[in-house]
Amino acid sequence: MLRKPLKYTFAAAVLFPFAFLLALSFGQNWRFPAVLPATWTTDNWHFLLAGQSDLGQSLLRSLGISVGIATVATGLSFFTAKHIAYHPWRERWLTVAYFPYVFAPVILAATLQFYFLRLGLAGKVGGVLLAQLFIAYPFGVIFFTGFWNERMRAMEQLSATLGGNGWQTFRRVLVPAAKGALLVCFFQTFLISWFEYGLTSLLGVGKVQTLTVKVFQYIGEANIFYAALASVLLVLPPVGLLWVNKRVLFKT
Amino acid sequence: MYLKINHISKTFGKEQVLQDLSFTLEAHRMLSILGRSGSGKTTLLKIIAGLEMPDSGTVELNGKTMNEVPAHLRNIVYLYQEPLLFPHLNAFENVAFGLRLRKLPETDIHQKTTEMLESLELGDQSKKMPGQLSGGQRQRVAFGRALIVEPQVLLLDEPFGALDTETRSAMQQLLKRMVATFKITTLFVTHDLKEALLMGDEMALMQGGILKKYETKAAFVQDARTGVGEEVAFWAALGIGN
Repeated sequence: MLRKPLKYTFAAAVLFPFAFLLALSFGQNWRFPAVLPATWTTDNWHFLLAGQSDLGQSLLRSLGISVGIATVATGLSFFTAKHIAYHPWRERWLTVAYFPYVFAPVILAATLQFYFLRLGLAGKVGGVLLAQLFIAYPFGVIFFTGFWNERMRAMEQLSATLGGNGWQTFRRVLVPAAKGALLVCFFQTFLISWFEYGLTSLLGVGKVQTLTVKVFQYIGEANIFYAALASVLLVLPPVGLLWVNKRVLFKT
Repeated sequence: MYLKINHISKTFGKEQVLQDLSFTLEAHRMLSILGRSGSGKTTLLKIIAGLEMPDSGTVELNGKTMNEVPAHLRNIVYLYQEPLLFPHLNAFENVAFGLRLRKLPETDIHQKTTEMLESLELGDQSKKMPGQLSGGQRQRVAFGRALIVEPQVLLLDEPFGALDTETRSAMQQLLKRMVATFKITTLFVTHDLKEALLMGDEMALMQGGILKKYETKAAFVQDARTGVGEEVAFWAALGIGN
């Protein structure tokens, strides 16, 4: 009986923040104690699309950084995890992989800041990429360690005895077998990078303005409408990736 | 002699798994190796397949020393207890796997794979994914995938261990028939005494990393260490057999 109302309530609770953010991105003149903004306009979007705001640039920069991080972290961690999984000191290496998560990202950034300044990486996109890898790469390693088990090793060996060299085994056995895990890792590391604030803000020293940094900046300036607009842009790529993931991973 | 194992030794840490192990095998023969868990059977097979390196000793095949030849160039197929079918490939593609690695023409691959599936009585299962096949069918696909590349030696590591009695019996017959048809030199490792006797043209016993190969099946049966005597005594005590 209650199933339908519960379902709709759940859907409404999940979708409300997205809908409200989208609505706010069209708002202007919202003064306390009004429940909603006094003016509804497309000016904010015009401002963005006309290229007058640097939000478009931030969006592209964020996409570049996050796709880069997801690609590099997924690829590197796939192979690193293999070596760790079959290493006699597997547990010790895995413990090391958890280290970046002992600190909050901001504390990690504060620890790294001196070295980034000395190396001339602070305030550079390359520096932010490297900094974010400090979090995304170990995540990938931990994620893939479960994939490299005895069964996978036996499959690799079987492929070798059937005549497969390293590349053939990688292409014809390992990658297809890991397809789902690779996609999930790509998605997760993309999200880690996409919503990363502490490291990016401190090590980017305000010069590398990702979309997440922009949202925080607008909130700090009490510019709620631009913050909403930036947040809408912030949500779109993860939603797109979620949709792709769902189609690829759950197709029957 | 086709396959020649010369003074192979292997140690893992402080444990000596194989001790100065030597034996020979003629081409197109099946050697049954009986041994309990931990006797070093799997290590021996992996060394022959090139998946493990021996500490000392050599593996010779057809007069050629294989120690430095990598596993993928030996054409020695090692089959595990589990069929280990590639989960992303259907039965046809699993069987065709080795042919695709060798980059054979598509028509040859199709013809050979279809024939192999027919001979394994799997012609109507070719499009099925591994998860849709029964245990016995999966094992047959695994055999087909190994035999289709015409290996110089086939190494079987307890291949029927996970099957029920009825399927196991059917698979034993099928394997004997297929190996004879394709004239494959085979090492068959098992801890099951009856299976060892049933499958092997020749017999060997492995204990504590040492392998003893018998001149005849009768010599194997007469050796108290093989457990044949105990088996016979057991059935005799029940009043079955003589």
